[in-house]
Amino acid sequence: MQATETSLTLKDVINARHKKQRVQLCFYLFLFALVIWSVQATVIEDTDWERIGSVSEIVASVSHFFGLDIGLIPDLLAPTIETFMIACLGTLLGLVICIPAIWFGALNVTPFKPVTYPLARISMTLSRSIHEIVWALIFVSAVGLGAFAGILAIAARSLGFIAKMSAEAIENIDQKPVEAIRAMGGSNLQIMLYGILPQVLPVILGIVIFEWEINIRRSAILGLVGAGGLGLVFFRQMNTFNYPGVTTVILAIFGLILIGEVVSHYSRKALN
Amino acid sequence: MGEKALDIEQQSGSSGTGRDGIRREWSRFKYPNSLIGYGIVLGLLTFFTYSVHYLNIPAERIFGMFGRVGDVLATRYFPPDFEYIADFGYFDAVIETIQMAYLGALFGLIISVFLGWFAAYNVSPSPRYIYPVARLFTMGCRSVHEMIWTILFVTILGFGLLPGVLALTMFSIGFAGKLLAEEVESIDMGQVEAIRAMGGNHLQVFVYGVFPQVRVAFTGISIYTWDVAFRAATVVGFFGAGGMGWYLKRNVMQIETERTAAILVSIIGLVIVSEFISTWARSRVDKAK
Amino acid sequence: MSVLSVRDLRARYSSNGPEILKGISFDVEEGDFFAIIGPSGAGKSTLIRCINRLVEPTAGTIHLRDVDVLKLGSSDLRKMRRHIGMIFQEFNLINRMSVMDNVLSGRLGYVGPIRSIFRTFQDKDIQRALELLERVGLQDHVDKRADQLSGGQRQRVGIARALMQEPNLLLLDEPTSALDPKISREVMDLIRSIATELKVPVLCNIHDVQLAKETCNKIIGLQDGNKMFDGLTPDLDQSSLEEIYAMEVL
Repeated sequence: MQATETSLTLKDVINARHKKQRVQLCFYLFLFALVIWSVQATVIEDTDWERIGSVSEIVASVSHFFGLDIGLIPDLLAPTIETFMIACLGTLLGLVICIPAIWFGALNVTPFKPVTYPLARISMTLSRSIHEIVWALIFVSAVGLGAFAGILAIAARSLGFIAKMSAEAIENIDQKPVEAIRAMGGSNLQIMLYGILPQVLPVILGIVIFEWEINIRRSAILGLVGAGGLGLVFFRQMNTFNYPGVTTVILAIFGLILIGEVVSHYSRKALN
Repeated sequence: MGEKALDIEQQSGSSGTGRDGIRREWSRFKYPNSLIGYGIVLGLLTFFTYSVHYLNIPAERIFGMFGRVGDVLATRYFPPDFEYIADFGYFDAVIETIQMAYLGALFGLIISVFLGWFAAYNVSPSPRYIYPVARLFTMGCRSVHEMIWTILFVTILGFGLLPGVLALTMFSIGFAGKLLAEEVESIDMGQVEAIRAMGGNHLQVFVYGVFPQVRVAFTGISIYTWDVAFRAATVVGFFGAGGMGWYLKRNVMQIETERTAAILVSIIGLVIVSEFISTWARSRVDKAK
Repeated sequence: MSVLSVRDLRARYSSNGPEILKGISFDVEEGDFFAIIGPSGAGKSTLIRCINRLVEPTAGTIHLRDVDVLKLGSSDLRKMRRHIGMIFQEFNLINRMSVMDNVLSGRLGYVGPIRSIFRTFQDKDIQRALELLERVGLQDHVDKRADQLSGGQRQRVGIARALMQEPNLLLLDEPTSALDPKISREVMDLIRSIATELKVPVLCNIHDVQLAKETCNKIIGLQDGNKMFDGLTPDLDQSSLEEIYAMEVL
């Protein structure tokens, strides 16, 4: 009796497992079909295999990049500094233009909710959904080539992230200090200065430093569309087919990013 | 020692003079902490001012510039030429962009599952050798901007979607690999220990001890990666990797500003749609937790 | 012949850290239910983990049925581990998998990579898992997720998982300290009856002296990495207990 009962459940359990596995299989097959379709369109049809050539030709064109252009290094110093400054000033400007967006975009402090809140949210989404290259294109056409366009592009791109995270930080604050300031008769400004700001300032600074680190990465490529810095040197090396020079520029970018990561790591640690 | 502490407690702040007759002073300035603080602020200000000077920025016109941008957009880029993008060629480019982002993110995610495993110190099969290599590879993918990846792959493989897919793969590895490794490093090691104790090998430890714990996070990261990869995919074409970016490049070069505006509007629209989908999907995943 | 024989075992977590185990020796015989007691921080968990080398001892020998455990290479070590069942204080179940998959995961030492990725276990394993779940009283919870169970139920899943390995030694690392006293007693009784039934020797570390006296036939007492008592349960008297827990009294 016991045995038959167990074997019956055994059948059920095994069937259930098989059914579940079949459903999973269908899901994976669907994903796989999508892959096939995409590979067919992008890799097989679109690629000019003769241009790529054989494996040895690919290896040959990759090996162009091995090696360094030592002579280029002195010329890299100025653009590296420029890139670094674009990132710093861009982040600073981003923070400045962020302040109204943070104020309007945090539900608990926004001055006139039906208008200001959506306004802030839209500007945040716009800022984040436009790629830095596109921002740079827009600003280059507005203010001309050079570092200034880069700074504006970085600022415009940073706004979204800083504002969104900071507004969330403000929405999640501890309400008790705010209540205390209100209870002692503080004005809205005083509530802001003594109740909210001390709580969120370290958080916002952390966010800004994090964004600054990303901005170094971004500012290094803005030169590709004419906004100054290392990207411009990269573009020139590429156009003159000086592949060791390209590698040198990439290493310079690496160095800059490494510095940024170290500084960001320690300053965020110091903040906590 | 104890007496002294008592003294401080007993002092009454009203007269400014304590019971023991010593005048108590309080200053906002604390040495050396305040000095370091002011020093940092001063240093930063000097640096910013010097940078403005070094880069020849017309600082007084900065805020005017945003108005100027508005002017330029209104006069040159308005109205966007939507008829230009309302044809099958452009629609194909949109589909290609989506496919490129899908493949790039997918390949990147598959690779970053392994990288997340190898580059997490607590479960890496060999903390001494595999861990630093995996870590370095992830960092390298992250440090190089997706546009530079695109240019490099285009140089090697020529124009087309394939270099775009590969560039997005590298980008997704850098993006997802780091997030996933962080996720893996914060798991409960007890479940890992249990699988090790019953004789599981590295693969089984990962499949049973690690992956079930990060599966939800991984789903979230996957959706996020797809979203970010799509955002990048709309632009990689600008450097020769096909899709919508290629249209953008052509019209920018030909100074067809109204067509450019239409393309930009379509890119922004699609990115916002993809962000909505991604946010919605991630909130669903979070709820399923 | 003893099942498990440990001689002069020493362990420390880092080369300059404190020594956790300072030369422990003992023997587990066939049919033993062997308890390790002692205050927290005495090295009980470390000792248990040294047996299957989740912690690498720094010196000493461990023999499991004539196999020198400390000399095994990594693949032989895995083969040995699959015959040692382990039950944990915090259960260490795979929270996001079903009870069934958790119990089946006890077979991992025996299945290849493809089967483990797709969780396709053999029918006879599923059959055995069902029997074990019935034995521990969880036949109605087969398809629930592990984190939906209560503490006592989870530990029963842990027991079934360990038995799934067809172990010839069971290691218990504080199996009851996350459970309330009544459930603790039930779980210990269950383990004892199963161990007797399957003739598996058990090495168990436990903080509850009363429970240890009720279930175990042999006891060793640890204090600060030293063995303070070694003998049959009836020999454990008040004075030896005071010696073991001397640090805690202070």
